[in-house]
Amino acid sequence: MKKHTLFMRYWNPYVVLVIAGILSAFYFGLTSTVWAVTGEFTRLGGDLLNLLGVDITGWAYYDKVHLQGTTWSRPDGWMVWGMFIGALIMVLLSNNFKIRKPQQKRRYVQGLIGGIIAGFGARLALGCNLAAFFTGVPQFSLHSWIFIVATGIGTFFGTKLTKTRWWKGRPTLTKGAAKPSTVKKRVIQPYVGSVIAVLYIGLIVYFFATGQKLLGLGALFGLAFGILIERGQICFTSAFRDLFLVGRSLMAKAIILGMAVSSVLTIIIISVYDLTPITQIAAPSTFIGGILFGLGIVMASGCETGMMYRLMEGQVLFLPVFAGNIIGATLLACAWDHLGIYSTLVQSGAPINLLDSLHPVGAILATLAMLGLLYALTIYREKRYHQKRTMKKGATDYAG
Amino acid sequence: MQAELEPNFTLDLRGESCPYPVIYTLEALEGMNKGELLLVITDCPGSFRNVPEEAKAHGYTFAQEPVKNGQEYLFYIYA
Repeated sequence: MKKHTLFMRYWNPYVVLVIAGILSAFYFGLTSTVWAVTGEFTRLGGDLLNLLGVDITGWAYYDKVHLQGTTWSRPDGWMVWGMFIGALIMVLLSNNFKIRKPQQKRRYVQGLIGGIIAGFGARLALGCNLAAFFTGVPQFSLHSWIFIVATGIGTFFGTKLTKTRWWKGRPTLTKGAAKPSTVKKRVIQPYVGSVIAVLYIGLIVYFFATGQKLLGLGALFGLAFGILIERGQICFTSAFRDLFLVGRSLMAKAIILGMAVSSVLTIIIISVYDLTPITQIAAPSTFIGGILFGLGIVMASGCETGMMYRLMEGQVLFLPVFAGNIIGATLLACAWDHLGIYSTLVQSGAPINLLDSLHPVGAILATLAMLGLLYALTIYREKRYHQKRTMKKGATDYAG
Repeated sequence: MQAELEPNFTLDLRGESCPYPVIYTLEALEGMNKGELLLVITDCPGSFRNVPEEAKAHGYTFAQEPVKNGQEYLFYIYA
């Protein structure tokens, strides 16, 4: 019975993100790579170009992201498919799959355009809300600090757009009561979910049994992350957006806590096993990419991670978002050397890691201080929102 | 079984993804007279949590506990 309730309720986002932070530190310890998704999206775009007969040999960005093999032979590929499958299993076990089509048709266009902008921006900055954010900060890569600030700015403008009437559209508010949907008596989703779970676990066992350890780990951790983001309804888009929109701070606080735990664990793993942290270039491209990413994810209503479990819930809106993400990443890969993005925006930068610039103790203290500041700003913003609202309400009540 | 509540308005948000359910709900409540009852029907899983939490944070009260109806939720909120 306990199992039943565990899969019927959503989990506390704080708990979920702390577990995700711990798992991503272990994943780094085991594989020397981080939990990430958009790099694989870029490769999927490259695979598609190959399929269409486009010759992409010599495109610098595809060398950079190591486009080799197929998505089924890449650990990062299994990370992505594992996340999709983990989320799907959870949706089915909780009997929550439903084709959900937006009433506002404009959402599809918004999703596609937002998805393209977010995909382009994430790859320009060399990571999305994972490698340049949630798993970038614990690697002490300075580019993730720049990315977080820029994402906040982009989200701010995205939220302004969301608030306009022509963007959000009018809902159907009717007088009186309306009928809810009739509920199907036969519940088959949990059975389908269990079958998929068994098959997928079989596949993971097969990977390990045949010595394909990295594929097995990618598939296993992908599954775990997919389960976590779906059960916690982890939405990085909402972290900044809802703070500006409705003064909601829950997701932002949970993400910050998860990053703090992950940072402490990662620095221990780095020192004990003498690993090299993953450092990306910090350059003007990081800042511009972050702004585009922040804007795009709000326009699309979801980032590259959030769209995965929403698609598995049957939210049709996220099909154009997923397509947009891959199109955007592919456009960036093309523009990287063909339109001179690398030479104008990236070349001037350098990979900077706090562990090199500061002593490890200094690096972890600086990181925790930065996260503490973010936490304080989040609480301040939430308080300000409600203060302003009460004042506005008081004024109209008085006038009325 | 509770007595049937008679909502003054219904906001049918089935199909809409976050953040629109929460924006629409708060806007509808703001436009209604105090004491009127709003029924929200939503199926975006994110809204199962953010709609009730934000309605409460914005000072509105619930006429009854949220009702889970298959893959959707019904919220009865007083403006």
